[in-house]
Parts: sequence; structure tokens; C-alpha cells
Amino acid sequence: MSAQRALAATVRCAADMPEAPSRAGAAQDMGSRAGLTRDTRSRVLCVDDEPGIVRSLRWLLQKDFDITTAGGGEEALPLVERGDFDVVISDQRMPGMMGAEFLHEVRRLSPRSMRILLTGYSDMPAILRSINDSEIFRFVSKPWDVHELPKLVAQAAHIARAHAIDAADTPAADTLGEAVLVIDDDPVVAGLLAQALGPQVRVVHATTLAQAAAAVRDDHVGIVVADTMVARRGTTTLLKLLKREDPGIVSIVYTAAADAVDVVSLINQGQIFRFLPKPVRPTTLRIALSAAIVKRQQLKADPSVAARHEVDALPEEAQRELLASLAPAPAQPGETGGAAPASLLDRLGGSLRRLFRA
Amino acid sequence: MRHTQPESGGIAPSRRFHLVRHFVATSLGMFALVAAALLYFQWTQGNFFKDVQAQQSEFFGHVQADFARQQDEAARRDLLAIHEAGNVNLTRLFANALWERDFAPFVARAGAIPVDACRAIADVRDPADGKTKPPPAKKACFADAGRQIQAIDGFAALNAKVYDAMKRSTVFKIKVFDLRGITVYSSEHAQMGEDKSANAGWLGAAQGKPKSELTFRDKFSAFEGVVEKRDLISSYLPVVAPGTDRIVGVFEVYSDVTPFLDRIKRTSAQIAAAAAANQSKVGAAAADHQDRVDRWGDVMLAVVLGLLAALFGGLYVIVKRADRILAQEAKDRERAQQQLAQAEKMASLGQMVAGVAHQLNTPLAFSHSNVSMAVETLQRYRLPLKVAGRFSGLVKSTDRDRVTFDVRKARRHLARIDEGDLDASTSIEMLQDTLQGIGQMRELVDNLRDFTRLDRARTAPFDVNKGLHNVVYIASSVVPPRIRLLEDFGAVPPLVCNAVQLNQVFLNLINNAAQAIEGDGEVRVRSRVEGDHLRIDVIDTGSGIAPDVLPHIFDDYFTTKPAGEGSGLGLGIARTIVREHGGDIAVETEVGAGSTFIVRLPLAQQAEPLEAEAA
Repeated sequence: MSAQRALAATVRCAADMPEAPSRAGAAQDMGSRAGLTRDTRSRVLCVDDEPGIVRSLRWLLQKDFDITTAGGGEEALPLVERGDFDVVISDQRMPGMMGAEFLHEVRRLSPRSMRILLTGYSDMPAILRSINDSEIFRFVSKPWDVHELPKLVAQAAHIARAHAIDAADTPAADTLGEAVLVIDDDPVVAGLLAQALGPQVRVVHATTLAQAAAAVRDDHVGIVVADTMVARRGTTTLLKLLKREDPGIVSIVYTAAADAVDVVSLINQGQIFRFLPKPVRPTTLRIALSAAIVKRQQLKADPSVAARHEVDALPEEAQRELLASLAPAPAQPGETGGAAPASLLDRLGGSLRRLFRA
Repeated sequence: MRHTQPESGGIAPSRRFHLVRHFVATSLGMFALVAAALLYFQWTQGNFFKDVQAQQSEFFGHVQADFARQQDEAARRDLLAIHEAGNVNLTRLFANALWERDFAPFVARAGAIPVDACRAIADVRDPADGKTKPPPAKKACFADAGRQIQAIDGFAALNAKVYDAMKRSTVFKIKVFDLRGITVYSSEHAQMGEDKSANAGWLGAAQGKPKSELTFRDKFSAFEGVVEKRDLISSYLPVVAPGTDRIVGVFEVYSDVTPFLDRIKRTSAQIAAAAAANQSKVGAAAADHQDRVDRWGDVMLAVVLGLLAALFGGLYVIVKRADRILAQEAKDRERAQQQLAQAEKMASLGQMVAGVAHQLNTPLAFSHSNVSMAVETLQRYRLPLKVAGRFSGLVKSTDRDRVTFDVRKARRHLARIDEGDLDASTSIEMLQDTLQGIGQMRELVDNLRDFTRLDRARTAPFDVNKGLHNVVYIASSVVPPRIRLLEDFGAVPPLVCNAVQLNQVFLNLINNAAQAIEGDGEVRVRSRVEGDHLRIDVIDTGSGIAPDVLPHIFDDYFTTKPAGEGSGLGLGIARTIVREHGGDIAVETEVGAGSTFIVRLPLAQQAEPLEAEAA
């Protein structure tokens, strides 16, 4: 059944190919925003085993982009090698090569291509692979928004053009002059990380959001390792805000509570670097940390790389919730609720105020 | 090496062991046997005791009788011996007194009387008793000889002397024989002349040995007349010539022992009476013992039977209670199993729903996108269509070939129309794709409806291939896309079955098969007719089943999945369903190469497929 569909997709793609250049719609605001002319339109590769999906994507995007389609990962990889795509959009669930796997290959073959994963229903392992191995730019859930998707692709294409990189991992010193912030209820995790990082790296352990905010303000934090919950408060909003404020920050989520919706939003709004399900072997943790150190060095060295991790805007109410949850900090049990946010911000100082300015 | 695991035995919950019923039947049967055995033993013991008592009593009687008899015999023997000794002495005295002077000459003369002629007369056989007896002529001959002896001179004097000598004594009769055996004298004269040469007494005495015997005579001619009912001792005694050892004749002496014998008889009677008394005492004691033994036996029997009854009662209470507890436990277990089975069903349902949702989501996604775009396109076409409508109205309203109109006012609006953007073919394609997407969704919904068959009779003729296709379709949305699902259906007749349950079985088998495959692989679903059975194989290219796991795969609660991920009931339920259809389920497996689950369902009149909900 699926095989048949994949075959049909291939046939139809082949039929569509010669038609594609002729559909040269005027480069409208999206294209112009990306600063492109008709001849240098961004190249986008769409991969899905369902021919209906790739045809629909082509119709949606062909006005603004140069679209190539493929019916599966195996068919698409040679195209990736040959063509210099700005954006690669892939379905996750495909016969043969899965989406996360394919994007991992794309990352290797064409590091500058921005990777977007289409998900209808994804199992957790696939999502984690797409984060940890493929380092994708966005998850897009099916059915997509016909207005938002072209914008997202344009944004990705723009980043790809503006902040191109040559290799996925440029070698860099794996020493870190900055602190690693650990936000976790369990002191064992902090100890484990300190052990993994060695004595050269300073580890700051925060068990509340307030402590974490204080650490961000006072210490030079380069890497954040956080559980999704600390002292019964969610840390995801804080992580997202940190990333938006400083795209150079590298964040690792290390948690036992993995919810697909949370993880998707952590990518789309927080561009987290790794997501590790608790518990992992110390070796895995060490590898993730050294990769994070390398990443941090890259991001610091080249701001354009950091720009590749642009995040979506965070809803206003999420920010307000974060402020509210910062208010009854355990360190200040006597604090009155009403006056809390302002006085807390005052106490936290400039960097945090800057952080939460809306 | 291929291992096969045919359906292994398991106890169907319906065949429950009726503990109380079995216990009651068995124990009552056993108790009845024990009671019968006890009664039998009691009876044989009573009989044995009775026999022993009877034997003892009989023996005791024998012993007493023996003692009495021996005593009587001894007394009689003693009497005989004493009287014989007395007779010997008497004879000697008599001989000393009479022989030399009176008897010797007389005997010598009597011996001269010839008797050979008489002896020559042959004895004849008495036809009455078969014995040879002397004929009357012979007796008469001897009697004649006797008369001749009586006629000898001095006989009367001799006879008188003998009578004198024996008067008032206990001697009743005296006979004298010569050495020929002829009676030469008898105090009963009629007997004189008789030949006693063949008589054992005479023969013994003639050799020097006295011989006596005790006799009873109703009538006897004694010296002093005829006497009646007397006990007599008759002794044959040798007569020795005085002063020599020479036997010269034989005496026969009859002496009366009636008083002595009477005394002996009295003594014997007393002893017999005592013995009888003893015997009756022994008998009474035996009867008493028998009675007591019987009574005790009855009591013992009653006690044992009572104890058995008490034992039965106690055990019955315990068993009854145990049965209640077991039944409760079985019920609890069944309920727990049903809950778990329900949970398993819900889990697989959830998995199926998630898979189906994804399947549905794909056509939904592109249809949504296409329709959105088509709507936008149509909105863009509003103005051009309005212009076209106006223009066509204008053209229709006149029959002239040329029309002039002022475009100044329209120019501003018409500038918004991009001629290159007026191709409706893309929108048509979009909507065609959407129709196709809707077709896919409808196919899915149709399959779902067929799979659940909520709108069908529970047990009805069922196109198995259609059902399998259905299940494969549903499964394809659940199993990872790297696993290919292949349909390999042969021509099979419709099967009367509970299709919902069989769908559940096949979905379960396909899911299991898919889970056994790491990486790429295929699951082939094959149907065909095999004899009078329908055979459905689910063949995977997975890891196979390890030999240590194989015997347990159909066991309830057995799972190789991590805790919390599988209830271990799936295959058990599958087997229960298949068995309820009168079929069986088996597996062939090869580690590293894959497994084949084989479901066989009878095509002929099947066992009534159960209406019961597959737990």
C-alpha cells in the first residue's frame, strides 16, 4: 500500500518537474524579504511518501520557491548531494528511511540546509532522534497552516542564505571559560555533571527558578542543563526566553518526563540543543556535554551560526506565568504576592529586567 | 532448526473441578468400603471365636471322656487281674486238694474215651452268619462222649466234692479240660464232652498262660442254681501236677464280680456326671464369652463408624470451606484477568486509534491545504469572473458585431487582474487531489467500519479474505512503515464465525509479528483451504522465538516485553477465541529467521461460536 503510494509519488514528481520553472509567480513579499530575485529563488526540497502531500506543498510554495520533491529518503539523498538546497522539509513517517534519519543525513551532506520535520503522529524516540541527531530547525505538524508555512520556509531560507555554514561541526576547543547551569531538584545530577565536565568547568546548581535566574544574571552561563520541572515549576518558558534573549546559549533538557507537545515547543520556541531522557549512561551525558561545549564555542565565535537558531515568539501569557511563578520564591517565603513581580525584578537586576522586557 | 509449538494443554475455565462433589462421592464410597470391611472382619472374628470355643469345649469333653474311660478300663483291668490272680490261687488250692486223689484218675479214665470219631465230623458253614460251626451231629457225638464220662464211676462223688468245696464262694462254675481239650468235668453237666481244643483260652492255658475275661450273663447256672444278670470273670487256668511244672489239664473258673463291677460302674458314673457338669459349665462360659465378644465387637463397630462419620463431617466442613475459598479466588482471578484483558484490548485499541488518526491525518493535511488554496484562488477569480459576466451580458444584449464601451472607469479595477494567474487548471487539480484525499479517508472509514463490524450480526458467514485485507489495512497504519505487509490470499469459502473476535486475533498476530522484526522486514498473511480446515498463516521475517520462551508463549501473563508494556494475555486470548471456534493455533519458529503463526479453523459445521464477549 505504502510502497504503491511512494511509487506514485515518484512518478508524479517526475511529471511535475518540467512544469516547476514555468510556474514562476511574482516574488511577493516573502521572496523579497529574503532578498531574492526570480533566478536566485531559494531552493526547497519536499520529501513525503504521500504524493498528495508533496503536490500540495509544491502548489503552496512554488510561487515563492524553487521546489523539488521526492517520494522518500532514499530517493531524496542523491538530490541533496547534487542540489544545494536552502530548506529541506521531510515527513517523519515514511517506509524505508524515516524522516529523522533522512534529516540526519541531510545535516551531514548539506550542513547549511535548514531542516524542517513534518509530523502527523510521532513516537517519542523519533522526535528525540530528530533533535539530538538531526538538529532540526522546526517541527511542523500536519495539517499545516497555509499562511504560516510559507513564512516559516521563507524565514528558514533567509537564515540559510544569510548564515551559511560549511560543516556541521567545526572543530573548536572543548574548554569552556563559562559556567554550566544545572537546574534540577536532584543534587546527584549536578554532581554527575561536575564529574563529567572535570574541574576546569564551573557548575552552578539551581533548585528553583529564582536561583536559576540569579545564576543567569550573576554568573557567565554558557550552557544550561535543565529538567522540565524544578520545585514543581516548569522550566521550559525560562529556557525559551533565555534562548530568545541570547541565541548563543546552548541548552540541554535532561528529564524523565517527556511529553511530545512539550518537546516540539522546546524546539520551535527554545531551539534546545539536546533532549536526554532520564536516566542516561554517564558516557552519553559526557558526549552530549562535550558536543554542547563545541556548539557553544561555535556560537560564540560566529554569531551568524547563532542566528541559525532563531526561535518563534513566545506567547505573552507564558511570560506572565513565568513571572508569576518567580514571585513566591522559596528563598523569600514572607514575600507578599501583589508586590512580588516588580520587587523581584528589581532585585534580580538589569540582566533579568532586560530578559523579560516585552 | 525449526521449533514448533502446537497448542499446549491448558485448563479451560469452564471445566472447573467440583471439589465438594468429588470429595463426598470418594469419601462416602471409601467409608462404605471401610464399614463393609469392618463388618466382615467382625463377622469372621465372631465365627472364629465360636469355632475356637467349640473346639476347646469338644477337646475338653474328649479329655474328660478319655479320663473317665481310662479310669473305668483301669478299674476293670485291675478287677480282672486281681480276680485272675485269685482264681489262679483258687485253682492251685483246688488242684492241690482234689487233683491227685480225685481228678487225676478220673481224667485218666475220661481221656480213654475216644473222641477222634467225633472230631472227624466236618464243621459246616452256617448260612446265617457265614461262620463254620460244628453240625448238630458233632455236638451230639461230643455230648454222647460227655455222657460216657458222667457214667464213669466216682463221678457223682467227685461232683459232690466239687460242690462242697465251692459252696458259698464267689465261684459260680468250674470246668475241667483234659489235654485234648475235651471237657471232662463241668459243674454244669450238660457241657461235659464239649471240645474246646480250638478255644483261645484253652490253648493259652494249655501252654501255661492263664487267660481271663469279664462277661455279663443274663442267666447263668451256678452251683447254687440259676442266677440272673451277673458280671462274671471266666479264667482258663493251667493245672500243674503238684510238685511238678507239668501241665496236666486246664480249669475254667467262673467267679462272680457283680458287686465290684457295680462299684466301678458307680464310680465311672460319678466321674461321667462330674465331666458332664464340667462340660456344661465350659459350654455356658463359652456362650457367655461369645456373647461378650459379640457385644464388644458391636460396640467397637459402632464407635469406629461414629468416628468415621465424625471424620467425614469434619473433612466435609473443611473441604466445603476450601471449595468456597477456591471458587472465590478463581472468581477474583477471572475478574482480574478480564480487567487485564480489557486493558490489553484498550491498549491495542488506543494504538490502533493513534495509527488510524495518523493515517487519516495525511489526506486531511493535503486536502486542507488544497482547499484553502483553492478558496483563495476562487476569491482572486471573483473580479475576473465579474468582468467576464458583464462582458458576456453586454455581448448578449446586442446583435451588432461591434460594441464600444468606456474603459476609463474599469481600468483601475482591471489592473488588479493578472492574466498569468487565471489558469484554473491548478485549482482543478488541487480539488481533484482533495477528492482523492477524501477517497482515502472514506476507504479508511470503510475499513474501520468493516473491522469493528458493529453494524453486523455477531456470528455470520464471513468472507475471511476480505476480513484479512481489512485487518492488514488497519495494521498497516499501526506497524512501522519499514515493515511491509503482504497479502497472499487463496480462494476460501465463507466461514461462519464471530468476525470481530477473529479480526482481533489476526490484528494481534500481525502486531506481534511486526514487533518481532527489528529494522526492515515483512509480514505475510496467507490464507488457504487445507482439507476440511481453513488455514491462515501469519509469517514474519523477525527474530524468531527462543526455545526457552516457546513453551510459554500462549500462557496467560507471559510476556517478553518490559514490565508495564504488555499484559502477556494477547496470545492467550487469541488462542481462547480460536478454540471457541473449534480451531487451534500453533507456531513454527526459527531463531533469527522468523516465526509462522498458524490458525486452523474448521470449515464444516463448527462448534457453536460462543456469543460470549472475548474477554
